[in-house]
Amino acid sequence: MPLPLPTILWLSLALVAVSQIMILRSTVRAMRAAESEQARRGIEWAYAVVPAVALIVVLAATWQASQEHSTRLGLEAKASQTVAP
Amino acid sequence: MTAPAVVIREPSLARDLIALTKPRIISLLLLTTLAPMFVAGSPSWATILWTGIGGYLMAGGANAVNMYLDRDIDQLMARTRLRPIPSGRLSPRTVLAFGIAIATAATWILGHFVNVLTSALALAGFYFYVFVYTRWLKRTTPQNIVLGGAAGAFPPLVGWAAVTGRVDLASLYLFLIIFYWTPPHFWALALLKQRDYGKAGVPMAPNIWGERETIDQMLWYSVLLLGLSLLPVTFGVFGLFYQASALALGGILLLGVWRVRARSLRGESWTAVAWSVYKFSLLYLALLFLAMAIDRHI
Repeated sequence: MPLPLPTILWLSLALVAVSQIMILRSTVRAMRAAESEQARRGIEWAYAVVPAVALIVVLAATWQASQEHSTRLGLEAKASQTVAP
Repeated sequence: MTAPAVVIREPSLARDLIALTKPRIISLLLLTTLAPMFVAGSPSWATILWTGIGGYLMAGGANAVNMYLDRDIDQLMARTRLRPIPSGRLSPRTVLAFGIAIATAATWILGHFVNVLTSALALAGFYFYVFVYTRWLKRTTPQNIVLGGAAGAFPPLVGWAAVTGRVDLASLYLFLIIFYWTPPHFWALALLKQRDYGKAGVPMAPNIWGERETIDQMLWYSVLLLGLSLLPVTFGVFGLFYQASALALGGILLLGVWRVRARSLRGESWTAVAWSVYKFSLLYLALLFLAMAIDRHI
């Protein structure tokens, strides 16, 4: 049975957000354990944060696109009800 | 009873030039270029043909230049020792010239027969792989294949642009799926080849962070990939067939990584499971992209 679109959206967003946070946490832990110098840590931190920031931008665009898609589906459903005898 | 004969192929120039392009890796890159073309629309045979040829030559050129730049470490690793440069069959200069020549041909083919955006994206992938990944990240950070994964994620953008002439949110998702698939895929191999990478001084995550942290990150990247692969469904790009495929394939990948982690935590041998995760990850990407193309046409 297909999952409703809002359920997929919220579940997927939750999976993506939690795992991205855990990846960042793990990277910090790994950097500390590796005893790298301060400057190196800054660079490694930047490498970890850049994809996370890009992901936030894409997720924001996804949120908007899914709202538009839901509205369009709603309008189509309404139109088909109006046309149906 | 006689033992089966072992066929040893004589090295030849043609075989070595083909080997420089890493044809086995390119087959997956081509699939992730061509499948998105069928998601984006209904491409003509000519567009498919020229995009396929251009894509092969560009990726092959990048791989050849990569072998030129990595010739010092290739001779140190068992996995790469038999490549044409470390084994002395081709000179570094020949390999560099070959790589640049076929990448230049690819730029012209894609620009002339497909469109300029497709050509520019393919060339951007070439530059990213050669300069950002190979020259910059590979030998300096354990996150080399995380950011470097972007190089392998260009093909769907190339395929999409070949059909639509633009890049949009749906195509960005195909890019991101490959980007986030790369860490669990590559680290499964890196876990098994730690000694090789250590000998060559390549700072792969298992060598720098340790096995435990690398496996943890593989797990979280697999969870992220599962969520991310489902999101295009929410804005109408894909339907039920893709949704079911993404859930099943992502679930199997996640389960495989989970088994590696569980065995590692129990102190048991996990190498066989890690190898199966590596092999399945290749199948995962191929099947997911096939599911995308099928979903759009059923």
